[in-house]
Amino acid sequence: MKLKTSEYFIKEVATSLKRNNWMSLASIGTVTISLFILGMFLMIVVNLDRMASTLESQVQISVYLKDDISQKQSEELKEKLEAMQGIDSVAYISKEKAMERFQERLGDQKYLLDSLDSTNPLPNAYEITVKNPQMVKTASKEIEKLPGVDTAVYAQDVVEHLFDLTQLIRSIGLAIIIFMFGATIFIISNTIRLTVFARRKEIAIMKYVGATDWFIRWPFLLEGVVLGFIGGSVAIILLRLSYLALTQKIYDMMTFFPLIPLYPFLTYMTIAIIFSGIIIGALGSVISIKRYLKV
Amino acid sequence: MKSPNEINIIKMKDISMVYDNGAIALDKVNINITRGEFVFIVGTSGAGKSTFIKLLLREILPTSGLLVVNGYNINNMSTRELPYLRRSLGVIFQDYRLLPNKTVYENVAFAMRVIESPRRLILRSVNSVLDIVGLREKYKCFPSQLSGGEQQRVAIARAIVNNPSVIIADEPTGNLDPETSWEIMDIFQRINAVGTTIVMATHDKTIVDTMQKRVIAIENGRIIRDEASGGYGYET
Repeated sequence: MKLKTSEYFIKEVATSLKRNNWMSLASIGTVTISLFILGMFLMIVVNLDRMASTLESQVQISVYLKDDISQKQSEELKEKLEAMQGIDSVAYISKEKAMERFQERLGDQKYLLDSLDSTNPLPNAYEITVKNPQMVKTASKEIEKLPGVDTAVYAQDVVEHLFDLTQLIRSIGLAIIIFMFGATIFIISNTIRLTVFARRKEIAIMKYVGATDWFIRWPFLLEGVVLGFIGGSVAIILLRLSYLALTQKIYDMMTFFPLIPLYPFLTYMTIAIIFSGIIIGALGSVISIKRYLKV
Repeated sequence: MKSPNEINIIKMKDISMVYDNGAIALDKVNINITRGEFVFIVGTSGAGKSTFIKLLLREILPTSGLLVVNGYNINNMSTRELPYLRRSLGVIFQDYRLLPNKTVYENVAFAMRVIESPRRLILRSVNSVLDIVGLREKYKCFPSQLSGGEQQRVAIARAIVNNPSVIIADEPTGNLDPETSWEIMDIFQRINAVGTTIVMATHDKTIVDTMQKRVIAIENGRIIRDEASGGYGYET
């Protein structure tokens, strides 16, 4: 493309945006809203996803030992556990330690334990974390077969529900994002179609005097890109502000909540949203002009 | 593929055009038009004149037959080549088709700008064609400020500014009074005199009878007459 031609294109785009200022504003607004919603979903999905995997990774197996095994047997068992595949860590929790924890958890209701006198019904145990939460089920079955093990338990329901939930969130999030993307392209292409329609005679004349399709397409394409870019930029500003406000609120209320760290997440999202705006704008205009090029 | 040294600037062999609704617009038409000719295509409305013009511009593709325009094989050319075929043709319509928000100068320059001609060449060429059609002093006017004849002259200037080897005119005098029509025909004759082929669809009997150029008469999609120097031939 020659320099003078690009000059001409830029002039065309500026004129068109000025001429259709209200329509342009409406398109920018639409892109902003769509991308804002898209970004919100992205943030929710990414954070829920992260929360799920954090919870997943915290799932552990408690291996309760038989009361009658010796110290040596217990140590042998530990070695065996550590040698198993996919085991991350093995920690020994003596029955005394377990009782301490139990008392702590009871807090004000500690008196409930008074009836036990000084007997400790809690077993010695190993707490095991696994590398991959999906292995919890099979690992605990294996462990139960080892000598000296009474039972191996884990929060079975929680783990399995969590897997289902994350899967569901991922699929719904993906579906919504694809839908929003399509809807935005549709809206943009409709807006640009108005510009194209208003200039259909000009397009026909251009075709008659031998303009190439790309020569005709460029100004409209650029117009779409500019609309998409501005819409995307406004959306990302709003998204950043809301995200910062929201995370502040959440951290104030629940310090332990495993939110995605702000950076580089916000940087990636900025790139993704602005890039999406540009792609949506370009696609929208290419779709809307297609019909008028058949002269 | 293009073979520029062909004598026949338009070659139609057994061209048929059947529309989707089954209407037969052209039925096995054979025509050869050589470089520098001035040809009238005559016939009543719906006889197939418009189809003929549209085929030359490759707005539509023939149902069957061979059509070569300016060395471009219309049937086999790729859509990428289409702009280059159009650049070798100058098109003029009954309704002028000027851009209302552009001045006379811009309307003509537009045809050069879209094919990315250098700016200095645009200035020179536009001024020279405006001289030919006699509108140099009105270059700043908008189409709405011009008479019908003047608007058609702007359209002619736009059609010839890229030096096409063929001018295709579809009823160029259809909206004009007889006197203005003759001004337009005068310009056409001058363009033809420097070697540009002119193909003009018309049903203006007086013009055809007076000019005594080649006449191809189409009726019901068939050529009923092709005379080297003839008149309109039948009453309108």
